[in-house]
Amino acid sequence: MASPFSGALQLTDLDDFIGPSQECIKPIKVDKTLGSGVAKIHIEDDGSYFQVSQDGGTRKLEKAKISLDDCLACSGCVTSAETVLITQQSHEELRKVLDANKTLAPGQQRLIVISVSPQSRASLAVRFQLNPTDTARKLTAFFKKLGAHYVFDTAFSRNFSLLESQREFVRRFRAQTDSKQALPVLTSACPGWICYAEKTHGNSIIPYVSTARSPQQVMGSLVKDFFARQQCVTPDKIYHVTVMPCYDKKLEASRPDFFSQEHQTRDVDCVVTTGEVLKLLEEEGVSLSELEPAPLDSLCSSVSAQEPISHRGGGSGGYLEHVFRHAARELFGIHVDEITYKPLRNKDFQEVMLESEGRVLLHFAVAYGFRNIQNLVQKLKRGRCPYHYVEVMACPAGCLNGGGQLKAPDAPDKQLLQDVERLYGMVRTEAPEDVPGVQELYGHWLHGEGSTQADRLLHTSYHAVEKASSGLSIRW
Amino acid sequence: MKDSLVLLGRVPAHPDSRCWFLAWNPAGTLLASCGGDRRVRIWGTEGHQRTVRKVAWSPCGNYLASASFDATTCIWKKNQDDFECVNILEGHENEIKSVAWAPSGNLLATCSRDKSVWVWEVDEEDEYECVSVLNSHTQDVKHVVWHPSQELLASASYDDTVKLYREEEDDWVCCATLEGHESTVWSLAFDPSGQRLASCSDDRTVRIWRQYLPGNEQGVVCSGSDPSWKCICTLSGFHSRTIYDVAWCQLTGALATACGDDAIRVFEEDPGSDPQQPTFSLTAHLPQAHSQDVNCVAWNPKEQGLLASCSDDGEVAFWKYQRPEGL
Repeated sequence: MASPFSGALQLTDLDDFIGPSQECIKPIKVDKTLGSGVAKIHIEDDGSYFQVSQDGGTRKLEKAKISLDDCLACSGCVTSAETVLITQQSHEELRKVLDANKTLAPGQQRLIVISVSPQSRASLAVRFQLNPTDTARKLTAFFKKLGAHYVFDTAFSRNFSLLESQREFVRRFRAQTDSKQALPVLTSACPGWICYAEKTHGNSIIPYVSTARSPQQVMGSLVKDFFARQQCVTPDKIYHVTVMPCYDKKLEASRPDFFSQEHQTRDVDCVVTTGEVLKLLEEEGVSLSELEPAPLDSLCSSVSAQEPISHRGGGSGGYLEHVFRHAARELFGIHVDEITYKPLRNKDFQEVMLESEGRVLLHFAVAYGFRNIQNLVQKLKRGRCPYHYVEVMACPAGCLNGGGQLKAPDAPDKQLLQDVERLYGMVRTEAPEDVPGVQELYGHWLHGEGSTQADRLLHTSYHAVEKASSGLSIRW
Repeated sequence: MKDSLVLLGRVPAHPDSRCWFLAWNPAGTLLASCGGDRRVRIWGTEGHQRTVRKVAWSPCGNYLASASFDATTCIWKKNQDDFECVNILEGHENEIKSVAWAPSGNLLATCSRDKSVWVWEVDEEDEYECVSVLNSHTQDVKHVVWHPSQELLASASYDDTVKLYREEEDDWVCCATLEGHESTVWSLAFDPSGQRLASCSDDRTVRIWRQYLPGNEQGVVCSGSDPSWKCICTLSGFHSRTIYDVAWCQLTGALATACGDDAIRVFEEDPGSDPQQPTFSLTAHLPQAHSQDVNCVAWNPKEQGLLASCSDDGEVAFWKYQRPEGL
């Protein structure tokens, strides 16, 4: 099975070759037993291991398990078997949780919240030939049928991510003269990019990455902090699932930074891909188009939107567009309407410029796909990066083309991508600051923009992964 | 047959170490060698953190690229009698196994244990940019080589296959996979016309593959507009160990092999053999050409019959090959 993770993640040292210079960081605790001498290992037909000691007694041996958390901490790997990597998160795990929850008494039950990304929704819309609104409503109906209590849209949490990104850029642009590492700002919403940057480049790149959380993780804050308070439950009583266009998002949800020590719970408990949602539908024997639509849920009780809302700027979140427009206005008093992209070496590497009287005021770029990330990083390391801001995504063509999106067996990939883009673009757009509920939440949940609360709940930090050096490394 | 390949000289090129690879410059006046002692040496009638595994001259002869286990590729520019490092290409995750220049001189290919093949483009200011990262192989990629006249790239891997790549729109794609070898494919060489490709392997055979264009007379099936490659000849039973390198002389069409049994062999196509099913005969076999594995053989591009070889024994040897009478 070809690896489902993004190209950037695949090349990040998750390889099968167990070189002596690579060490698994998972500590293996060895329990010493007295007088056991030499023991034999016997393998049963079902693959389980039994230790047979000299007196003939047998003891079943535990399998060493690698979890996603371990992966993030490590620079070497024992195995890259995909099944091992995503053992804790899969649609089977989700179904288990939903089924188990149903059997509990209402007071004991966990509150199940599912946050759907607009990219996944667009992919499903194309498959079932529905418009975005119907897809959203029918998905809501489907998840509630399975046992979910609320179904939200991560386009809502993205508003916060965009607003924070805008503010951060203006602040860093103004700080250029004081700090060499203020610019360029590199986006942070793509975990494939972040994992690669942390492991391969570490502190030479990390200072440039935006600290704004991705829409998935802002939703984590919204659900486990704001929504939990509103529902009068502790965060660990909520089981938060997100539906995402790629597998890399599963790794993002497992980051220790997104685990609350206080409540012993993750901000996002489980990530399922668009493909896994399709599997759930197939297992239920249900076609999305046949379902009766349900009304859409809203995080803000004062808002009742019966239609999804989207953003300008493309299927990867529109970071460049929002930050560019905001910066042009805030820094130079220039109003920008349409943004013109100039393709560079290939269609996944494009630049945008704000010019006035022959001077370049802002120079932004989008860099999608591993080869363009390579070139960007190399330029940056040599001090030759001409950009102030770069929207970086690990997948060519961006999130709509993520590794977890649905494939059409009989249609060419190009056509499918175009259809998904078209459906994605059908949804009405709204500027983040104008979306109902956003200003309200900045007020009474976060106690103002730029507050400590806002910083804690809407931002994060990154950590260079140290490469383990072993005395066994062979010097060729 | 022993006299058809005569020793001209030996040099202790990489003392107490392995000599891994050789490359003649296009003018045929300089030979670059590289080795486990982390050195690249230029030999004529005129630095890396780990083993330098391969070197390649640019078509114009002014640049030398060196591929290293330290995961970087250095570009050296000729500056009168000296070479200076003008660029270091980073990006591969681990050991780079091979580097090759395209005939146009604008493109460079590298391949690595990280299973990927990278295509780089160089501009007028000697700046290199990654144009494509190709993840088609499932194991360590050992060798890359360009077609002599087209922008077609070939790679050989530990996954037992040879893959071919070409440009499509703004990216590179794998357009053919050659299966047949039963073990690691170590090296590749195109024939002077570029219509045939020779591959050598750990399975102790050399295979010759031929390109068939869509609509070919022989009725070989092609998918779409991509040519098909078929194995038209297998040289087996000649080598007793892994064959590490194969070199196809651009002047005479002779094929030389470097083998783990310390021998060098030369093969030539039988005159009058069917182009679709050619036969090759062994025309030189020198056992103990070196005292250890022969890692590389390289034909001089200008002087007929002049062959260089290098070995795990750290030596570079020069040979004169003459096709035996009556063959």
